[in-house]
Amino acid sequence: MSAKTLRHLIVIGLIALWEILPRTGLIPELFLPSLSSTLRAGWNEAPEYGHALAVTLYEVAISMAIACGGGILLGAIVGSLPRPRVLIMPMVSSLYAVPLVILYPVFTVWLGIGTESKIAFASIYGFLPTMLATAAGIQTIDPQLILAARSMGATMSQRLVRVIIPAAIPTVLSGLRVGGALVIVGVVVSEMLISSAGIGYLISRYRTILDSPHVFAGVLLVLFMAMAFNALIKWIERKAAIWQTGTRAGQSAADDVGSGAVQPAT
Amino acid sequence: MQPLANVTPLKPPPRAGAIEVKNVGQIFKTSTQDVVALDSVSLEIKPGRFVVLVGPSGCGKSTLLMMMAGLRQQTTGTITINGAPIPKPDPDRVGVVFQEASLFPWLTAEENVEFPLALRGVAKAERRAKAQEALKLVGLDGFGKRHPHELSGGMKQRVSIARGLVQDPPVLLMDEPFAALDEQTRMTMGDELLRIWSATGKTVVFVTHSLTEAVYLADEVIVMSARPGRIVDHLQVPLPRPRTYEMLSGDAFGTLRDRIWRHIRKSA
Repeated sequence: MSAKTLRHLIVIGLIALWEILPRTGLIPELFLPSLSSTLRAGWNEAPEYGHALAVTLYEVAISMAIACGGGILLGAIVGSLPRPRVLIMPMVSSLYAVPLVILYPVFTVWLGIGTESKIAFASIYGFLPTMLATAAGIQTIDPQLILAARSMGATMSQRLVRVIIPAAIPTVLSGLRVGGALVIVGVVVSEMLISSAGIGYLISRYRTILDSPHVFAGVLLVLFMAMAFNALIKWIERKAAIWQTGTRAGQSAADDVGSGAVQPAT
Repeated sequence: MQPLANVTPLKPPPRAGAIEVKNVGQIFKTSTQDVVALDSVSLEIKPGRFVVLVGPSGCGKSTLLMMMAGLRQQTTGTITINGAPIPKPDPDRVGVVFQEASLFPWLTAEENVEFPLALRGVAKAERRAKAQEALKLVGLDGFGKRHPHELSGGMKQRVSIARGLVQDPPVLLMDEPFAALDEQTRMTMGDELLRIWSATGKTVVFVTHSLTEAVYLADEVIVMSARPGRIVDHLQVPLPRPRTYEMLSGDAFGTLRDRIWRHIRKSA
């Protein structure tokens, strides 16, 4: 049996257990409501969840644009110029280790409990790894490639467009993968902490009234959102960077490592 | 038979280049001292010759090659290719082949070969035709759609050579092109290079660490010494062409290799 089929079987098995364990009473419905009751709860409150999803997606989209756009731009500058690299990189690297969620209450004081504070927090949260990866991607380009392009008469701008950017794409994408996942985490976590709308808010509100099926319906939605994002990044990677790992074996290894790396600590 | 005067030949005569290096010196400035990498190097390479540069590490042979390519400027002296200096890379006059991995991994073999043409805005169809021709010349007909990671080390170097030749430059400079290949592939690639060279009639300057490779390939071997880099010997290889594997064990071959080795041992 291939690893892929085995993986699918495990997922199917887990889903089945999710349905069976609560139904047989082995696990109380309060701790883990069955899959069917979770889906029913979500379906019954579909408009509420739909609205919450819209709010969350909006926040994620804006934060993603700021975090990824800004991260790539600044990372490219920092990565290609030695002086800002020496100044900024150590700071950014140590900042990366700080649990930024401690800043969130400050953001709510500055920006209120609406979407602005979520966007600000998630943007900063996702910005750092994107920037670090882009800077690393630019720095680690094989100088031999640039030399070869020069020997063929490539001008400065031709080197940038035809060599530096394509060569940096794989590293930048791996940064986007982590940065984008952190944006989703940032938005949902900040909604759960202090807010009045969004999926995180719904999860948090239903939890306080111990309505487990509705909590898990929200959890499922976040799960789907993260999976959709992951699928999107994978699709872009396949389109843009087939050459990244060279071999098929290397490609699947990178998949495994990559998806493991998107589970950050909050 | 006399050729008819009004018939144009099917193939234009091979474009070969003359290289002249006069009193070239290179000084690297470091914070503590000035390092003389090359000290007053002069040499003349006639069109169509296969010239190999050998010498210990740090003798400046690669530096000299980079200067001929216009990728680096000498501190003193002049270098001319077909009579004109080369202040910056000029792919119309000089093609360069590097050691390894200088193919762009995100492009296919034929896109890699087309790269120098694309830089100058050559139309797609013409680019493709020229790349096909160059790939055919290096024996890679039918491999154009593959990416570098789908090619063996020897095939990658063939693509590099095709890329160096695609603009039909009179001079081909090669910086240890086979250094990363295994022994067998290296021998095969040497023969392939000689075949391509005799088919195109280019002037080739080839840098290597391998004395056997030097004698096997060259018309002339230029031996350099380190610190400061200078030419200590310039010898002709009178072995007939085509070169064969049997020559490697012959007396003439051994004598030449010994002579080079003595120079290198002295300076190392």
